[in-house]
Amino acid sequence: MTEPRVFFNFGITDDSHTLSAYRGRGGYQALEKALRTMQPLDVEKEVTTSGLRGRGGAGFPTGSKWSFVDKKSPVVYLCCNADEGEPGTFKDRWIFEHNSHQLVEGVLLAAYALNVRHAFIYIRGEFDLSYRRLLLALEEAREAGLVGERILGTEFSCDIIVHQGGGAYVCGEESSLLTSLEGFKGYPKNKPPFPAVKGLYQAPTVINNVETLATIPWIITHGGGAYAGIGAQNNTGTKLFGISGHVNKPGIHERPTGYPLKKIIFEDCGGILGGKALKAVIPGGSSTPVLKGFEIENVTLDAESVIKAGSMLGSGGIIVIAEGTCMVRLLQVLTRFYAHESCGQCTPCREGTAWMDKVIGRIVAGQGVKGDLERLEAVTSGIMGNTVCALGDAASMPVASFIKKFRDEFEYYIEHGRSMFDGRLEI
Amino acid sequence: MIELKIDNRTVEANEGETVLQAALRHGIEIPHFCYHPCLSIAGNCRICLVKVTGRPKLMPSCNLAVTPGMEIETDSDDVIAARQAVMQFITLNHPGECGICDKAGECRLQDYHVRYGEPESISLEPKNKKPKFYDISPRILLDSERCILCSRCVRFTKEVSGSHQLGIVERGNHSRLERLESQPMDDPYSDNIIGLCPVGALLSRDFLYQSRVWYLEPIRSVCTGCSRCCSVKVWRRNRHWHLRSLGEEMNRKVYRVTPQENREINGPWICNKGFDLHKFMGRKRLLQPMIGGSVATVDEALSEAKKLLAAAKSPAALVSAHASNEELAAFKETLGSRMTVYSREDYKAEEGEVVEDNILIRENKNPNSHGVHAMFGDLPWSVDSGHDLVLVWGDNVDYTPMGNAKVIHLASFEMPQERHADVLIPISTTFERSGSFTNFEGKVNRFTKVFDKPGLVQQAGDVFGRLGA
Repeated sequence: MTEPRVFFNFGITDDSHTLSAYRGRGGYQALEKALRTMQPLDVEKEVTTSGLRGRGGAGFPTGSKWSFVDKKSPVVYLCCNADEGEPGTFKDRWIFEHNSHQLVEGVLLAAYALNVRHAFIYIRGEFDLSYRRLLLALEEAREAGLVGERILGTEFSCDIIVHQGGGAYVCGEESSLLTSLEGFKGYPKNKPPFPAVKGLYQAPTVINNVETLATIPWIITHGGGAYAGIGAQNNTGTKLFGISGHVNKPGIHERPTGYPLKKIIFEDCGGILGGKALKAVIPGGSSTPVLKGFEIENVTLDAESVIKAGSMLGSGGIIVIAEGTCMVRLLQVLTRFYAHESCGQCTPCREGTAWMDKVIGRIVAGQGVKGDLERLEAVTSGIMGNTVCALGDAASMPVASFIKKFRDEFEYYIEHGRSMFDGRLEI
Repeated sequence: MIELKIDNRTVEANEGETVLQAALRHGIEIPHFCYHPCLSIAGNCRICLVKVTGRPKLMPSCNLAVTPGMEIETDSDDVIAARQAVMQFITLNHPGECGICDKAGECRLQDYHVRYGEPESISLEPKNKKPKFYDISPRILLDSERCILCSRCVRFTKEVSGSHQLGIVERGNHSRLERLESQPMDDPYSDNIIGLCPVGALLSRDFLYQSRVWYLEPIRSVCTGCSRCCSVKVWRRNRHWHLRSLGEEMNRKVYRVTPQENREINGPWICNKGFDLHKFMGRKRLLQPMIGGSVATVDEALSEAKKLLAAAKSPAALVSAHASNEELAAFKETLGSRMTVYSREDYKAEEGEVVEDNILIRENKNPNSHGVHAMFGDLPWSVDSGHDLVLVWGDNVDYTPMGNAKVIHLASFEMPQERHADVLIPISTTFERSGSFTNFEGKVNRFTKVFDKPGLVQQAGDVFGRLGA
């Protein structure tokens, strides 16, 4: 492979996740370089130059996110959002399990740039091996003087605190992550104020995704310009794509942005299971609108191209759906998830997600009536844009897009009381 | 001062105000459930969404700080659509049982449903089942089906009373209000959440099914529970709805006591003792003048008292801290100069009662000690003062320490005694007179008569006038 790799640049062995192995691959040299030769502002500049955009889903430019924070504030916090809960997304887990040190180094670099003394990693409660690997990495790093007081003998000190989530999807939303970290029930907060102004414990806070932070050591080592040279123009670098669903070889792939979506499905993942035709793709985790098979013809994996096609790049969790799958049943799986995960704080999401689930559940049970689709559309438009956080939008977008694009299937199901297909989701 | 436009009307707002506050202050109505001026902003009901020119999304006006030149629309098509959607969501699982709900008639949800909602639900699904009529304390019932999870009560226990006894448990549409401790709620301010609740989810056990609220009318009065002198509303049956078939007792009854907002003294809250004021006033009344334990007419009692006063060599008066400022002035004018005046506190803190806190409750459990002290000083009466006649004004009196002195007693409530007073004259309660109290900070709070006094009961001021004449 000639393509540069930020993550997939080593062979996985039994001890490739340890500190000595990571150091053997040149680990912690970026930290050394930054602490000894760079000012915090230089680190931020490199990240800005790199054009790195947040990998959690929203794709906000990381450099500009950092620039909003008042670094002279007495306390600034950094939170690493490792509550990877979006259905179809499993990239952060790979980083934790195989290269936690890369994340630790990234956190330290970001902490150095932002004048952070205490950084937090909020890790998803269901992650077990990831959690253990992260703790192991931190222990090794602490012993080696890489975390804690006077890192590498310099004036820079930073502690990393790991917090395990309680299993709520909504705690992956940045403001509820902070509420949860503060010890309260994971409710999102109204914005403004934004976390960059008043975040954790009312102090300015930066919240970055795992993949975003783990990319920073590479940027510091090779320079922001080198990173900006990879991939698509407005959405630079490489990205981890997790492909799941009806493909022959599901898994996680690192590809430069701008890589053709079709190529990743049909070449890298070995095509559709059982040689079936491609029916649809959910390109960026379950909450992004679905794309029909023919719509992905020219789609490349960068924010602009996917938006042009009518969806979002999101977290890079690509769900592939083969011909013969019942979209009504599939949608029920998604709505059940969102109804279960709605935190219940604000009215439209609390009531709306459960309402949609009930209606779709009724349709699937063969008791759909004429008018149900209009009802669902009214509910989605009542939720969208009217909620505290983005969970409401995330729950209503798939419903709206499924109904819009596969209306005939829904109508058939309501009319006949059964699926157009055999109704199974497995192939 | 910041100028902004709400519905094309130029409005002046203060620095740091939100759009909702500015609009309400200028009489522009924006519906709101979870917002309360004395609680933190939750922004969860989403009914207050407004359109801000230049922003793609509707914004909750309760959490939207005013900025100069802002243009707000509260009645554009998309705002109306969003409100109707939110009303659909709020009523989705709210039972349509206004007919048996105590809140009906003063329910925010009912009002908004008429004003902003669509006439019918677009839902076909059965409503969620949740616990109904569940005690969260001996005083309060919770109906979780009616609850719209606005979190006002939760914020009240966190931010005002500080007991942290309520919380919202579970997630999504299974969320419900719950006590956070296994024992019943014992917050001394708990009843405020009944009024705070914008729907009929929190119900007063005392008022449960006693009356529909539109038969009642509030009268502004003052709580006599302590020297804070909180303003209260005393709810009596509206005169139009006095029905002979109900009987005298139901027509002449205080149905409930609720807080009356008074920014100077108590804000919008009172304590549970205030909510129980009608029970305090509803104790067994003294209705009959007596001379030495035997029934007498008013005239007989008064002339006997006058005779005793004239004969006394060293008369003393124990002045009630439940007397109004006007009655105190009448006493000073008529009898004050002829007697040694002592102040007395009618009531002390009872066992189990909160003695004092830093919210509202004061240690002195009488409303007008400040007024008494201001007029007569605070000389305490003692057994050996050597008076041969004591005029005792007020309740909760024990005659035993008076020794052989003659006792003239003016009281409102019955109290068993070892001996009889020489003259006993029934006087009115706070609910049966108008007047004012001076609270511990020196702030004067006025109260209005709720009911006429019973036949033989006297106003203390009149009694002094006749005794002094």
